[in-house]
Amino acid sequence: MEYQHLLIFGGVCTAAFLLITYLWPRMLFIVYKRAILVTGGGDGPIPVNQLYTEPQALFADPVHPPASASKLFTTGVNHDTLVTVGWLDLGEGAQVLHVPDMAGRYYSVQFTDPSKNINFAYVGKRATGTAAGDYLISGPGWKGTVPQGMKQISSPNNSVLVLGRVFVENDGDISAAYGLAKQIQLTPLSL
Amino acid sequence: MSKTYTYFIALIGVVCAYFIIRLFLFTDLSTRTVQSDVLQGLLIGFGLAVVSANAYARIKATKSGGWITMFGLGVPGNGMFLRAAHAQLFPGPVVVPEEAMYWWTNTDGAGGALDGRYDYVMRFPAGGLPPNNAFWSLTMGDAKNHFVPNPINRYSVSDRSGLVQNTDGSVDMYIQNTAPTGRESNWLPAPSGKFILWLRVYLPGATILDRTYAVPPVVKTK
Repeated sequence: MEYQHLLIFGGVCTAAFLLITYLWPRMLFIVYKRAILVTGGGDGPIPVNQLYTEPQALFADPVHPPASASKLFTTGVNHDTLVTVGWLDLGEGAQVLHVPDMAGRYYSVQFTDPSKNINFAYVGKRATGTAAGDYLISGPGWKGTVPQGMKQISSPNNSVLVLGRVFVENDGDISAAYGLAKQIQLTPLSL
Repeated sequence: MSKTYTYFIALIGVVCAYFIIRLFLFTDLSTRTVQSDVLQGLLIGFGLAVVSANAYARIKATKSGGWITMFGLGVPGNGMFLRAAHAQLFPGPVVVPEEAMYWWTNTDGAGGALDGRYDYVMRFPAGGLPPNNAFWSLTMGDAKNHFVPNPINRYSVSDRSGLVQNTDGSVDMYIQNTAPTGRESNWLPAPSGKFILWLRVYLPGATILDRTYAVPPVVKTK
């Protein structure tokens, strides 16, 4: 009878250990999701299934970030790429990612499964080249026909972090890079 | 990874180990209740998860000359223990190695904390700049990982900075709070206090991915 206490303790302890380890990346992403959907990057919350590109002024003068921006947007020093972020909910249906012709410029758009912090797909110079294109992002269990001319990216999760990076050559290049980054867009798969 | 954080994690480990040893060897089990079994099991399990993720992160981290990186971040197929370890040293979204590699450091090559009270040089030997198919950069952050205001509005040095080579082809980067006279082109302005550095290489070359490329240490000069 007495040793059952050790069994109960040991069982609960092992289960808690495994569960916390498994959920650890997911707990970090709860913070990130909130930063996107609740606080945003300085212009208010970023609605689900929409992309937001950091303002040119913030890139040019990063030591004076807008007070209204989430801390996650102003922490971490990156003076190489303009960052575009968004949070997908594919439960409402598939989304189409459009990317413009980047004409050889480095860029990448990563699709991250927030439950595991795994980047299950990339669009960008390395993964798909720099030509314009449309990519169908579908959630698990999506059944439909991929429209002609689109490539399908199957997500293992309905919840997806989208993180785009467009290279900025120098300060004189910010507006050109911003113009391209803003053309990275999401639209629902038209019905 | 700061020393305070390391001590804190070590303390959690010691407390958990002490508790388990005491429970299994030195406790009169007839006085235990199921409630305390469950509650303490949860707490100790949580503590052990944090400690093991940190310990595994230290094992899996690649450290050289004060620089820390991890290979295999964000790669599909990573197991749960590796994912938890990655989240310790690189919290937040990460990039797969083929897309970009990030190194960071808060110490010089000798292990001293980077601090704007001192001057540092980082020397890339001739032909030793980070191999890549996109770009590289060395970016300054203060102790809280924010940009550092400076008189020349320079927040990073990179392949786009017009760095001047030495006569032997090596490249020195002067990491200090005040401008190095006559060497302003290679100056990366530091704050007056503690700071961190990020080295980023996008579309890294083969010698980075096969782990033979060594990032030069930051060396304290004054």
